[in-house]
Amino acid sequence: MSLFTCARERETSDLLHKGHWPQACPDDLRAHVASCRSCSDLVLITESLQASRRLTAELPRLEPAGAIWWRAQLRRRNAAIEKVSRPILGAQIFALTMTLVVTAAIAVWQIPNWSAWFADLPGTLHLDALFPSSVPKNGILWIIVPVLATIALLSGIVVYLASEKQFDD
Amino acid sequence: MSWESIIPNVLAGDSQSLASTAPAAAMDNEQFAAFYARSARSLWAYLARVSRDPGLADDLTQEAYVRFLCAAHPQDGEVAARRYLFKIATNLLRDHWRRPQSSSIDELPEHIFAATSGETQAESVAMLGPAMAQMRPRDRQLLWLAYAEGYSHHEIAQITGLASASIRLLLFRARRKMARLLRSGGQA
Repeated sequence: MSLFTCARERETSDLLHKGHWPQACPDDLRAHVASCRSCSDLVLITESLQASRRLTAELPRLEPAGAIWWRAQLRRRNAAIEKVSRPILGAQIFALTMTLVVTAAIAVWQIPNWSAWFADLPGTLHLDALFPSSVPKNGILWIIVPVLATIALLSGIVVYLASEKQFDD
Repeated sequence: MSWESIIPNVLAGDSQSLASTAPAAAMDNEQFAAFYARSARSLWAYLARVSRDPGLADDLTQEAYVRFLCAAHPQDGEVAARRYLFKIATNLLRDHWRRPQSSSIDELPEHIFAATSGETQAESVAMLGPAMAQMRPRDRQLLWLAYAEGYSHHEIAQITGLASASIRLLLFRARRKMARLLRSGGQA
């Protein structure tokens, strides 16, 4: 494709963008545009698009500037909060990890003592009174453990849902 | 721990503290209102004509201004700020086109523009809608920026992210096709 551009195209373009076409245009340029394909294309398209721009710009019902301004402030505020919350979240994750590690270490260290204490738990809490005497002592433990685990699980879910709701608010 | 103790006044929406969190956004409310009044209609016209969807133009115009205010926009005058705004709008349009669509953007109706291009307008203006409909979105973008907004090739390259050298060729092809369509009454 030959990239033909006329030498007088810039001059024509300047007149068009300054609004001087065609009234303030020299006669020789007007005659040139009539005979030059490139310049006549330029005039046709520029006039059409500029007229369209004037028309189209009358159409929108724009939102007030103040509303956009405050929306931008809100977004910047949220971005600032998010920026600050990132290191705090990291610290919280670190603290939780350390707590779990320390708890696990203590558990491993103390497991012989705890297993004896855990085996005596139904007797200590007098839970055997709640169950028929036909249920063996070890059987009580097997009922209590799932109950405690369920309570712990449900507590975790409640805390999670409550925190989600707080973040949504 | 409350957020207000971490960022003083941040929850109060205080503009002073907000300005300090984004120092580049130095435009205050009144300056922005004046800039908005001068630039919003031409930005909307650009988005509406290129996307051929006035509803989308409404949304993208608002989003472009919000992003403009949140970003570190150039501080060297209104011309640069305006060019930056058009760049944001162009990127938003590109993002919109990249998203999966239920219908092609080229299938959207032109009637809202055609209704205003009535008897009082020149024939070429009335033909613009059908002719624009047959152009590719990128060509519509280039033509609008070059001939409706009067941007130079270099400025168009900055706005669209295309290479400055390719703008000349792309614009030349688009202009030739558009002129042919306008002369033939919008028929390919």
